[in-house]
Amino acid sequence: MRHGWLGLRIAGVVAFVVLIAILPNFLSDFRASEFARVGIFFIALTGLQILTGYTGQISLGNGAFMAIGGYVSAILILGRPGLEASQLEAPSWLPVGDGMKDIWTIPIAALVAGVFGFFVGLPALRLRGLYLALVTFALAVSIPLILREPETLTGGTNGLNLFGTTEDRLTGAIDNSVHIPVLDKDLTFNDWTYYLAWSIGLLGLAVAWALLRGRPGRAFRAVRDSEVAATSSGVSLASYKTLAFAISAAYAGAAGALLTIVSTIVTPGSFPVFLSIQLLIGVVIAGLGSLVGLFLGALFIYYLPVGIQELAEVGSLPDGLQDAAKSPGMPSVIYGVVLILVMFVLPRGAASFLSKVSFPLTKRL
Amino acid sequence: MAELLQQVVIGLASGSIYGLLALALVLIHRATGVINFAQGEMAMFSAYIAWQLVQWGIPYWLAFAGTLVVSFAGGVAIQRVVIRPVESAPVLTVVIVTLGLLLIFNGLATWLWSGEVRTFPANRPFPTRTFEIGGVVINVQDIGIILVTLGLVGALWAFFQFTKAGLALRAAALYPDSSRLVGIRVGWMLAVGWGLAAALGAVSGMFTAAAFPPLEPTMMQAVLIYAFAAAVLGGIDSPGGAVVGGLALGVFLNLVGTYADDLQDLGFPIDLEGLRLPVAFVFILAVLLVRPQGLFGRAAVRRV
Amino acid sequence: MRRTSILIGVFAAALAVALPAANGRETADPGVTRNSILIGGTTPLTGVASAYASVARGAEAYFKYVNARGGVNGRRITYKYLDDGYNPSTTVQQTRQLVQQDRVFAIFNSLGTEHNLAVRDYLNSVKVPQIFAATGARTFGADFRKYPWTIGLQPSYTGEARIYGRWIQQNRKNARIAVIYQNDDYGKELLNGLRRGLGRMAGRIVATQGYEVTATDVQSQVARLKSSNANTFMIFGTPRYAIQSFIYANRLGWKPLIFVNSVSSASNIMEIASDAGNNPRVRGAIAIQFLKDPTDSTRWVGDPGMKLYRQIMKRYLPRGNANDVYHVYAMAAAHTFVQALKKAGRNPTRAGVMAQLARLDVMSPFTLPGVRIKTGRVDRFPIEQVQLMRWSVNRRGDGRWVRFGALQRTPG
Repeated sequence: MRHGWLGLRIAGVVAFVVLIAILPNFLSDFRASEFARVGIFFIALTGLQILTGYTGQISLGNGAFMAIGGYVSAILILGRPGLEASQLEAPSWLPVGDGMKDIWTIPIAALVAGVFGFFVGLPALRLRGLYLALVTFALAVSIPLILREPETLTGGTNGLNLFGTTEDRLTGAIDNSVHIPVLDKDLTFNDWTYYLAWSIGLLGLAVAWALLRGRPGRAFRAVRDSEVAATSSGVSLASYKTLAFAISAAYAGAAGALLTIVSTIVTPGSFPVFLSIQLLIGVVIAGLGSLVGLFLGALFIYYLPVGIQELAEVGSLPDGLQDAAKSPGMPSVIYGVVLILVMFVLPRGAASFLSKVSFPLTKRL
Repeated sequence: MAELLQQVVIGLASGSIYGLLALALVLIHRATGVINFAQGEMAMFSAYIAWQLVQWGIPYWLAFAGTLVVSFAGGVAIQRVVIRPVESAPVLTVVIVTLGLLLIFNGLATWLWSGEVRTFPANRPFPTRTFEIGGVVINVQDIGIILVTLGLVGALWAFFQFTKAGLALRAAALYPDSSRLVGIRVGWMLAVGWGLAAALGAVSGMFTAAAFPPLEPTMMQAVLIYAFAAAVLGGIDSPGGAVVGGLALGVFLNLVGTYADDLQDLGFPIDLEGLRLPVAFVFILAVLLVRPQGLFGRAAVRRV
Repeated sequence: MRRTSILIGVFAAALAVALPAANGRETADPGVTRNSILIGGTTPLTGVASAYASVARGAEAYFKYVNARGGVNGRRITYKYLDDGYNPSTTVQQTRQLVQQDRVFAIFNSLGTEHNLAVRDYLNSVKVPQIFAATGARTFGADFRKYPWTIGLQPSYTGEARIYGRWIQQNRKNARIAVIYQNDDYGKELLNGLRRGLGRMAGRIVATQGYEVTATDVQSQVARLKSSNANTFMIFGTPRYAIQSFIYANRLGWKPLIFVNSVSSASNIMEIASDAGNNPRVRGAIAIQFLKDPTDSTRWVGDPGMKLYRQIMKRYLPRGNANDVYHVYAMAAAHTFVQALKKAGRNPTRAGVMAQLARLDVMSPFTLPGVRIKTGRVDRFPIEQVQLMRWSVNRRGDGRWVRFGALQRTPG
């Protein structure tokens, strides 16, 4: 039976990867851009899952790490010439460079965000539960304010605009065509961002899986389940808590950099408090401690508000209900009701549902 | 000097409003171990109910009392209908449910009353007369709000300390199984806790509409942030701590804003005026690092 | 693997249902068919700024009214507006969708300064009109040479504040000015405009205090401003903070002459600020206006423009709040667009409509009498004329705006 279970899992993973690879052929160009954003959520959720689901550290502030990654990426893509063209400038001691191709800024953004995450993890050593939640929440609230200064570097409230100032450093954004030499194929900008986001997403997932299978993963779980037992088993709480924060921040940073590349802009308003809350919702919907459910979590947090909008605009409800659905406030109510109902039906997230569904199937193998 | 005192007085006034909402947060946390993110929106909704009653011609204080009753009943109902089904779920699931409630109350208020700005009648709940002492202007309404807040803390403390119902509530929260054995209806005790918190929130909402006009659906969103900070600063299980935390936060924020200009004149490179909130958070973080349980919280003892 | 192909099939079917249907045969420019014209926009339907959603709804109501009368040159106007939640990154995505997927003729009346800035480069590079960007940031009228496909509508914040500065310079030589402003580009632009308008008197600004939208109240800022002993108080903030500024100034015993920016000058806001007659600070407060205020219950009785407004609201937006001045603003924008579209002829092109927008001369039923919507070769500020007005309170305690002086031109 174990042999069959493993086979099913491998088949599932392969199917998933294949699905991701060929999906754009079935999607309209715009849907591809939506799925790119689902991918961005997916990456951020993977990081948050490691921190909250596996290490048990609650974070209401991963949107702030996304913001850091987003700004780092934008500043590097612009470089000094790009900043100058926007009437901005970077201090001389900052290693900004003369403009970098967008994809190379992603790992740098992840690294910077990860370092930042490490420092945020330090207070986590003293604080837990709600106290930690407040500190991370404070981060989410403060970052959009802090990122407006210094205005000469970050562009203030208007942020940084990459469109038009970065020539070919921003792949495909301007002429809407990306040439892939290896496959000798041309992609639209939206398809390109889709593949970029999901390649990183799958890579991140693989890395997370490897991490969680090995020693770090066991250490993380030990920290989550019982700090006392972990310490007595020789697991250093300090190392693993800060490591978990750093890793989740790095994932979020990469997601933020991707968001900047996909939107061609970055502003403080791109990373509101609600973003951090959405990430938390996504992880809970996925199921804490599950990698499998993350895809569903990402789909849920992206498509629920969009779906409610579309329901109100083009849905075929009876007229009275249609009007009510469009009136101010209703979308919010519907969102809240759906959220609560989902929590009633799946209190442990999609993962519990998935395992319940697959169990009867695997029983027979 | 008068200016400094004026800022302190203003800070105490706004701080008492944060403290009042923080009190509601602490109450629910003590009763059910959860932070109710919807507390602010529920308070806002209660304020709208009061407003609507006044619009229908009901005198203010009658409407005030009526709103407290309705809010209490609403809090009980929410605990029974929405929170109880996920009682045994992981804490984060319950958190998500409260987020759902936040969205529902926010949307409902907008849907029912639109985003138009509104106000209560003048001089409600307290006269807005001012008097001056030594160059510092003090508002009777602010004094009234501070006194009521302190009074409520006292009443709450007395309720928990000296009444059977209060004892039952505390028992139900701390030792649910033993309480059941003694015959306490634990489920209903938790619901009563939510009801009381909702009523407190209603007071906070009505006071907010008076002290920070106008009445509008977004008015409690920032207050919730400050209330959360105040509750944690004071110790998440301490009602007194919540109010002290609120007052401290209110004063601190104003002092930062007041001296931001002077600091800049002295050469400080960053404009702190716009960063009052982050600076306040840094201050709270500093306190928490020294006392992780908050100013008045009980240090958690972990049994091996 | 069969399971996967079934999954894909289900996916594809679901998505095919979600894709918008084609709409008739296309002619020259995208978005135009024989009997319809599709325009798009973004607006915050949800989130903290959702109060501004009334703009899009008001415009939609006006277009429905026009469509019920045969549309423009036989074409019905379809206005598709999407929710960007006031997040500029979402604005970019939605705008791209409207242009690339829905293939709209133009982007109309999208809301927000950063939001319009975020898409301005893109829209100009693909030559899609960005019409009547709903923001007062000066750059939308000033930078038309660099961005020929973009045009704003309302008087710029700079222009408005310059009018206040000019008036003070001419009429209040002993002014000591304190300013409270929202700490973002909108508030800062007003502050800078004031400085420009004051000219040599700019040094009379003795104190400024900014506030963040994360603030619960601005009592602390007002107290600080009071201690500067200023006798003139400029309120450059959104309605909530404007109301508070009026009320706190009074409670703190400060008695300056108050100016309030037009975003927060609607009559219902002033009513609340007057605290049921207990706040004398609203008396004599000065603001500018360029639209007809629907909450002014006496002024526009019998005015055909406002009659039309109320009829349209009743018929096409019954659930909307007719007292919301944003609806009036939106209808002014929609009405002006319709005029330009009419003049663009039987086969409107994007370039053609932009050309008409560059030589507008429209009397709007929704703007103050005498305020013409006009643009020219070097003028891309459609609404430039404003009226100074003063809040007057009669013996019974009722307040209203009373216009004074001639129409002013806001220097862009």
